[in-house]
Amino acid sequence: MDATEIPLKPPSVPTDVPTSDVEPIERALIDASTRVPVLMFYTSAIVWLLIGTLLAGFVSIKLHEPDMFSGVSFLTWGRLRPAHMNVMVYGWASMAGMGTAIWLMARLCRTVLRHPLLLVAGGGFWNFGVLLGVGGILAGDSTGYQWLEFPPYAAIVLFVAYSLIISWAVLMFRFRRGDQIYITQWYLLGAFLWFPWVYGATQVMLFVVPVQGVMQSAVTWWFANNLLFLWLGAIGLGTAYYMIPKVIGRPVYSYHLATIGFWTYALFSSWTGMQRLVDGPFPAWMITASIAATILTIIPVATVGLNHHMTMQGYFPLLRYSPTLRFTVFGAISYTVFSAVGVLISLRSVARYVNFTQASIAYSHLGLYAFFTMVMFGSMYYIVPRLVGREWRYASLIKLHFWASVYGVGLMTLMLLPGGFLQGANMENPSLAFSESTQTILPYLRGRSLAGLLMTVAHFIFAFHFGLMLLGLGRTSSVPTFLNPVEAEGSEEHL
Amino acid sequence: MKGFVPLVLGIFGTFAFSWMGLILIPNLQIGHLDPQMDEEGTDVYPAPKSGMADRGGKIYAANGCIYCHSQQVRADYAASDIDRKWGARRSAPRDYVFARPVLLGKMRMGPDLSNIGKRAPSEEENASPAPSASPAGSPVPAASPAKAPPAASPANPSASSAPAASASPKPANSPAASTSPAAAAASPAVSPSPAPSAPPAGANRASPAKASPAASPAPSAASSAPAASLAPKPANSPAASTSPAAAAASPAGSQASAESSPPAAGANPTPATQGASVAARPPGSPAGVEAKPGEPPPYSAAWHHRHLYSPRSFSIDSDMPAYRFLYERRSIGSEPSADALELTGRDAPPAGWEIVPTYDAQCLVAYLMSLDQSHPLKEVKSPAAAGSPAVVPPASPAAAPPASPAASPAAGKGTK
Repeated sequence: MDATEIPLKPPSVPTDVPTSDVEPIERALIDASTRVPVLMFYTSAIVWLLIGTLLAGFVSIKLHEPDMFSGVSFLTWGRLRPAHMNVMVYGWASMAGMGTAIWLMARLCRTVLRHPLLLVAGGGFWNFGVLLGVGGILAGDSTGYQWLEFPPYAAIVLFVAYSLIISWAVLMFRFRRGDQIYITQWYLLGAFLWFPWVYGATQVMLFVVPVQGVMQSAVTWWFANNLLFLWLGAIGLGTAYYMIPKVIGRPVYSYHLATIGFWTYALFSSWTGMQRLVDGPFPAWMITASIAATILTIIPVATVGLNHHMTMQGYFPLLRYSPTLRFTVFGAISYTVFSAVGVLISLRSVARYVNFTQASIAYSHLGLYAFFTMVMFGSMYYIVPRLVGREWRYASLIKLHFWASVYGVGLMTLMLLPGGFLQGANMENPSLAFSESTQTILPYLRGRSLAGLLMTVAHFIFAFHFGLMLLGLGRTSSVPTFLNPVEAEGSEEHL
Repeated sequence: MKGFVPLVLGIFGTFAFSWMGLILIPNLQIGHLDPQMDEEGTDVYPAPKSGMADRGGKIYAANGCIYCHSQQVRADYAASDIDRKWGARRSAPRDYVFARPVLLGKMRMGPDLSNIGKRAPSEEENASPAPSASPAGSPVPAASPAKAPPAASPANPSASSAPAASASPKPANSPAASTSPAAAAASPAVSPSPAPSAPPAGANRASPAKASPAASPAPSAASSAPAASLAPKPANSPAASTSPAAAAASPAGSQASAESSPPAAGANPTPATQGASVAARPPGSPAGVEAKPGEPPPYSAAWHHRHLYSPRSFSIDSDMPAYRFLYERRSIGSEPSADALELTGRDAPPAGWEIVPTYDAQCLVAYLMSLDQSHPLKEVKSPAAAGSPAVVPPASPAAAPPASPAASPAAGKGTK
């Protein structure tokens, strides 16, 4: 097929919704109604991304330079690490995810966003909650539950903020037009409903009516995995299901596959989590159940991957031009890799070696960065021009952003996965002193710092580019910014 | 897909299913455990932590110790945690009934801490003279019980028929030390003292039921190793090394002594090979943590303070951050504080100044010193009972802290 015509034609709706002449106008109205809240969520998210990136730099470097700032309490490694993690999960990922989800929801429900300022208030509260939480962690108020280090007072603020945000998203669903509920909407609705249940139930079980002893850990990891899969993962997959067909202008390959993928995803990934406690002080069946569930996630991964692949079939050359497509497809592929690594390190024979090593950090970054964050970048490249009425100014900056991110996260994975295996192998060999295992990983940690540097470059470039868009300094053009010039003859009239 | 209701029901259903399966049911199973106690209601384990230790746990959490240190010992078949002497048995849910927050950890950039308190010198008085007496390291066995896989002793091949193994000889690291005659002489001298001191402690936590079997076999141990009454020393004097006090006591049926004067490798029929294997691979043994002259004995409170303040003063390879903000530098008043850190070299404060722990630091160390999962639990099999004899012996000589009552878990279990 002729690759050039694809990105240039007006995007067609990937659902079965009948198109009509008024549609472009309708879309413009919807976009306009979401402009303020979505841009507000995106801006906050990107600010948090930069903060989290700087924190990550400290975390990564201090791991091999432990004497840095040892006299300053709020710069101690054990506080910076959870601060980084929580900023990324609650500040960056959740904010970006909610921004994208709100926009997608409005578009797919074909309804304008009512009272957008209330959403802005919700976003403000959320920012305040994250700020409070990160401040609490740095001041020494961390709860000590991984992924839930925010002190309870910050968690309450987050919860209130979330209730404001979610009610608007669900309200949109209530006012939707058309009978069909598109795949993306399943995932988004799921994410919007799962998150408050999981977060609320966990907060209650840890802080209001605390469960006893090791059950706290079970609750924590149940939460962490559900946050990863049912909240961020669901938003990421839903976004990919929208962006890929949208950009290439072709319906999703199979609805049936998508249905299977969605329900098996909901069923199996929600049962994972305990595999992270492998061989810990728990009844073995809990862990085995989660390992089995992790292995069964191969089903949703395969169906989703197949669906995306078949949708893309024949359209891969477009990756050369469309920033959105390139980021999103990279994210979708990473989802498969992430899940495969997840299955691998959950097996008892492997977990024996990697359970307490840096390999689990690689796993988290594959999920949160290579998959989720890249999909979010892709969606931002698609959505922001539609909100500000300008196109991205520099194709070169987008390319730089993409490659720095890809090389960054790729290098990080290449460092921490094998490094983690070596660290674990040495740890499991009792004839070696324990310090051998930590010495082994040191060169890999230095490599990780280099990877972090690449990602830092990527994020600052993106933030700069986004800032230009916000200030109205994008290109005024009816043609999206392509990564590479579209050579073919048919394109000239558009350019 | 059509319809809002089925979608929401499905979403809710999957959530509820997962919550029920992974949270509700496990909570019914292990969410309401009571501390374990014996028939008389004594020997309660675990016990709630003291106020200071409890506060120390919060400081541990707040400063992110958990991101590098786990607090869970995996079973011997699943991992080599026990071989590393991080504990004598695997951790069980009951170990954590009072832990809040529970700090199992997910990363080991530093060693596991489940039993760090147990590995401290059992009594500071005993410990501190020892290093000065023979700086070469022979004191260490007494002082740094290091990692205590007590256990092991029962593992000898004859364990089933003659559980005697629990009769206990002299531990461990000393094998290396024992090469110097002086050291060998010294250690027996040390061993009696812990033994007497321990029984009182052991008495109230005793597990009579289990200890008693140990008592009867004791004679058999003696028979196989007539030398039993002598001090042991696996390395060069393979003779079974029961401490006299223990040997005498255990036949008598006093479980306290059986429990408190642990294990050791002693009665094992093949002490020589044991000793050899220990000598051959000292790395597994706590060689790295032996006290050097001028240093506090490993895992004592003074050691922890100095380690928190300046981790690399003990091991240049350490990757642990320093926690100097938990310490205060102040000018020395009329006389130096009792708890001032003994620092040397680069870390030492200028003359006229001293470094003292803040209250937070004291709590944190109190918490570390309270970490001890060595008490036997009914639901946990000791690796000694389960493991193969071939594996265990090397561990046993290397480990067992003489005076610790706790070491008996394995012994009790193994002989049961």
